[in-house]
Amino acid sequence: MSSNRITVKNMTDKEYFLGHKACAGCGGSLAVRLALKVFGDRTFAALPAGCMSAVGFIYPQMAFLNNAIISTFPGTGSMLSGMRAGLDALGVKDAHVVGFAGDGGTADIGLQALSGAIDRREKIIYICYDNEAYMNTGVQKSGLTPYGARTTTSPAGNNLPGSVMQKKNLFEIVAAHDIAYAATASVGYPQDYLNKLSKAAAVEGTSYIHIYATCPTGWGTPTETSVSLAKEAVDSGLWYLAEYEDGAFTLNRKPKEFFPVKEHLLKQGRFKHLKDSDIKVIEEARDKKWKRMLEKWN
Amino acid sequence: MSDQILMKGNEAVGEAAIIAGCRHYFAYPITPQNEIPAYMAKRLPEVGGTFLQAESELAAINMVFGASAAGARAMTSSSSPGISLKQEGISYIAGAELPCVIVDMMRGGPGLGNIAGSQSDYFQATRGGGNGDYRVLVIAPASVQELADMTVKAFDLADHYSIPVMILGDGFLGQMSEPFTLPEPSGKTFDKPWALTGAKGRKPNIIASMRLTPEDLLEKHNLELQKTYQEIEANEVMYESYLLDDAEYVIVAYGTSARISRSAIGELRKEGIKVGLFRPLTLWPYPYKELKAVSDRAKKVLTVEMSLGQMVEDVRLAVQNDSKVDFYGRTGGMLPVSEEIIRKVRSYGG
Repeated sequence: MSSNRITVKNMTDKEYFLGHKACAGCGGSLAVRLALKVFGDRTFAALPAGCMSAVGFIYPQMAFLNNAIISTFPGTGSMLSGMRAGLDALGVKDAHVVGFAGDGGTADIGLQALSGAIDRREKIIYICYDNEAYMNTGVQKSGLTPYGARTTTSPAGNNLPGSVMQKKNLFEIVAAHDIAYAATASVGYPQDYLNKLSKAAAVEGTSYIHIYATCPTGWGTPTETSVSLAKEAVDSGLWYLAEYEDGAFTLNRKPKEFFPVKEHLLKQGRFKHLKDSDIKVIEEARDKKWKRMLEKWN
Repeated sequence: MSDQILMKGNEAVGEAAIIAGCRHYFAYPITPQNEIPAYMAKRLPEVGGTFLQAESELAAINMVFGASAAGARAMTSSSSPGISLKQEGISYIAGAELPCVIVDMMRGGPGLGNIAGSQSDYFQATRGGGNGDYRVLVIAPASVQELADMTVKAFDLADHYSIPVMILGDGFLGQMSEPFTLPEPSGKTFDKPWALTGAKGRKPNIIASMRLTPEDLLEKHNLELQKTYQEIEANEVMYESYLLDDAEYVIVAYGTSARISRSAIGELRKEGIKVGLFRPLTLWPYPYKELKAVSDRAKKVLTVEMSLGQMVEDVRLAVQNDSKVDFYGRTGGMLPVSEEIIRKVRSYGG
């Protein structure tokens, strides 16, 4: 890394996402705040319905100090294309066009628009803050809700373990477009995220960062554990730090030994009900994924 | 009333759908109706039904389209901007002459708006929000009891006429907890010989929504649809009259705004002002004739809505005397309060 890289020590003191109404310990708001510190005030942001628009656009106490607009729920990718076209028409060349959308807004209803935007090779940055359910509407399952998580629409009981689906493999779906730059990140590894934000800002073409973002309200976790839990998710292998560029995948972090999955999951209200047999399903899915990643990725 | 239970309006809709025999419900999150999917996610598996959370409103309504084509009683629910997304599917379902129930717990708009209750979906509910000459039977309950009762009835109406039926509530009704009595199943059954049930021992069924050939002209199909709509207009109008026998002033309101109007009427009556309520329960078919008869005896007809004037267009069509029709509305998730309605009626110099 070059000496002028952005770190938590040298990053700007200026805030661009300030005074928002997010819950204490919100990972999504941390992802937005750090991203805007890297991108700066020449950032034109679009956010669909979701937590960050709900907590950021409460008129007259607007939390964005850069330009920002709420897109339709399915339309974030399309709106980003339109914004870039508009800036091009005005001759504005020094601005970032950035989307911030949650897991539902990205992996479910917004996937078609995102795919179109990537396919057009737009010069835009798309950041998915993944808190693993529709949190703004009161915790409903999304395509990125992991197996075993209890939500209001994936109830847990004697007959059901919570969500019976594994997380949709969105990072690789995005990469399959042969996107210019894609990465996964976690609010538990801020320096890794900052590096990836800098890369996304510099790349020609479309970039996508998928950041794992803790949600104490939806996950049933203490607010002060948001960063440590997001770190633990990576250390336990349930999330991973990776990049896709120039047609190749790279794993940025390869834990020698995984943090115990059971210990990690049982700290969270949404997983409290899991039986050992459910944990085994989760571990097996993790191992299968890691085997493939370690074999095929750099 | 020992058999009364307490539930939110949204939950009551869910339980009533199950009582009506609905075993297929397709959801997508949006406030203020999220208690319906949460309730159905727990309850439907208990009764052997299918709860499915779709990836979007478009997906959910198209799942309803598919389930209905297979002959199942199917339902989806949403709120205003989500209903806008479903409109294409609703138009297709209407064109294919398939039954289904759609619940709309309206919220403030336009666009993302807010999550407070509102009544500004009247146009997109009653005017056919999608393309084509079609109608959706729209029922507007005003209490948790009525939400439950009308949900059961909605499934029968949908099956009887083979059309989409919409329960048009709002965020206040959906979120409101009231004691109510669980409705009884109607016991009615409907043959669905057109259903795509697998062509064992019979010719394949084909459900068409495209008519390009001369012998199956689209105009002819539309005329057939209109016959059904005329039958519904003749037979299914529902409304409630309250203190109208001697009324010089008529308030017309539905759903939540009718509840507020009713309490305003109570106060105005104490002052000796002869005012009553005309509450349409079906918004399409609209009780034009019945309202006309009431308005002919009245000096003034005041429409009260949680919008800036949508149903008032139907009131004008009914009354056929624009100078008699007045309007009062609050919008964007604001409720008209009783005092505002009282002031308005007093201003007529009763």
